[in-house]
Amino acid sequence: MTSELSLLGLSLQVAVVATVMNLVPALAVSWLLVKRRIPGGFVLDLLVSLPLALPPVAIGFFLLLLLGREGPFGRISQTLFGSDIVFTWFAAAIAAAIVSFPLMTRSIMVAMAGVDQRLELSARTLGAGPWRVFLTITVPLAYRGILAGLLLGFVRALSEFGATIVVAGNISGRTETLPLAVYSNILLGKDGQALKLIAITIALAVISLAVHNWLLSRGGHREVNG
Amino acid sequence: MTPNADGVSAKRPGDREPIARFHIIKEFSGFTLDCEAQFSSGVTAVFGRSGSGKTTLLNCLAGMVRPDDGYIEIMGRPVYSSGGNSSGRRATHLPPERRHIGYVFQDGMLFPHMSVAANIDYGHALVAPDRRTLRPDDVIELLELGPLVDRPVGGLSGGEAQRVALARALAASPELLLLDEPLSSLDAVMRGVIIRYLKKVWTELRIPMVLVSHSLSEVMALAEDTLVLSGGKKVAQGPPARVLGEPAVGAMADYPALENLVEAEIVRPTEGSRPGQILVGDATLEAPDVYGRIGERVTVSIRASDIIIATGKPSGLSARNVVPARLTELDVVSGRTLAHFDVGARLVVEIMDVSVREMGLRPGSDVYLIMKSNSVQVLNPERP
Repeated sequence: MTSELSLLGLSLQVAVVATVMNLVPALAVSWLLVKRRIPGGFVLDLLVSLPLALPPVAIGFFLLLLLGREGPFGRISQTLFGSDIVFTWFAAAIAAAIVSFPLMTRSIMVAMAGVDQRLELSARTLGAGPWRVFLTITVPLAYRGILAGLLLGFVRALSEFGATIVVAGNISGRTETLPLAVYSNILLGKDGQALKLIAITIALAVISLAVHNWLLSRGGHREVNG
Repeated sequence: MTPNADGVSAKRPGDREPIARFHIIKEFSGFTLDCEAQFSSGVTAVFGRSGSGKTTLLNCLAGMVRPDDGYIEIMGRPVYSSGGNSSGRRATHLPPERRHIGYVFQDGMLFPHMSVAANIDYGHALVAPDRRTLRPDDVIELLELGPLVDRPVGGLSGGEAQRVALARALAASPELLLLDEPLSSLDAVMRGVIIRYLKKVWTELRIPMVLVSHSLSEVMALAEDTLVLSGGKKVAQGPPARVLGEPAVGAMADYPALENLVEAEIVRPTEGSRPGQILVGDATLEAPDVYGRIGERVTVSIRASDIIIATGKPSGLSARNVVPARLTELDVVSGRTLAHFDVGARLVVEIMDVSVREMGLRPGSDVYLIMKSNSVQVLNPERP
């Protein structure tokens, strides 16, 4: 039981850190694409969605090249902290963050697009600058959709496997998250243990998705009436 | 109730500074707005069909849309300049929040996550204290919003929402107020109510307004000056009564639907089957549904095609309203004639060309206007 708990703990830690890392970039990118309609936005839009279309294992490989001892970020980490990023839980969090970023951002974009631009323009004419409009109008009106996007990203981060195993390995007690442990148990022929872990994963996913759907249904309701 | 006169930094139209001076060029797909004009009256209407560019013009003034070329000055301050050509101006494009221009959208656009009071405070709180000319309480009193302030905005009616939107814009102490079709989403009665409040904004607060409308009746009821746009170009500008007769306006106006929306005072409310009485200018008129207090000011609607003209005082009529009036102007537009009358208030009557000739009507003619009391509709929501 203790091993399941520590697996669960590490998985949650990785997914939560990945989600928190994504929050600000996802809000910023959504705002630029939906509200600012920046020139060349379609390139950014494409880049945001790219991880969704790539095999996670390829993303893991790119990350390995970037974060590894010979990669630019790996070297910085070596110089600054005297330690590697790859094959740590933090590498797993980075992998989970990148893979879950498109889902999170696309949900937040939908939520922000649902806020009538004329409300934001009204606030501008009342003296609010773009930053204040974002904080007092856009975010409060889109917060359910933003939370739903965060949860969707969280669920995706929780189930991340392909990129993680490449860049963080599968080190028991250090980088082994629930999906990796499922994989190990299958390889070892421990079907019962694998199923048990899958059950935990399913429970987490069901809870998160239920909350996600609840947020969106109430959020949609409010948009219509507001 | 008068606005706080201290710290008024805004220039008011009385200073003879034009409210707005601009030349706006903005191209859209297959359509170009190219309009040079000056607004100097307290209330200016921008009139035109949908797609004529009138809302785009308003959005350029507010800073929501950036023109391609030209310049915009509000109260003598340059707020936009392309910096090009021979203007000698530096390229400028002030964002909306730095223009001190209030903007009221067609359907109010209240912040749905805030109460009425929070909506009204939103802009006020962002104005530098030394620039504030109005307090939220003043505005709430002027627009009679007291009973609504603690309500969430979700439950407001269209007319209430429009009033709160107006209050919200005013509480930010704007130097100029822009209104995009402020009446078009309202029913007839609410329209009359909002017209009264809009008039107060100018008469009591001296905040100049520019409003966009596709309704001649609204333009006549509210504006002193009218800019007529067609296909992105200015085709006429002048007082509504004058512009009304322009052929360019005739082509886009729906004269049979033309209403006289005039201000009136309640003389005697309706009691049972006895009709009430109102005072329009110098004329006392009977109307079936007059509800409210004696002396209360209301808006009254009389269709231009519901008024009959007689050269002599008629007798033996069932119509209850016979009012002496002087013809001031005749406009012949696309086969229809609009006769303007002065009864202490201005009334427009639509008649046939033939009648004008046969009756020998000309400006200066003294006649009688005949209206059934049922044609006089008092736009007041109060009912016993």
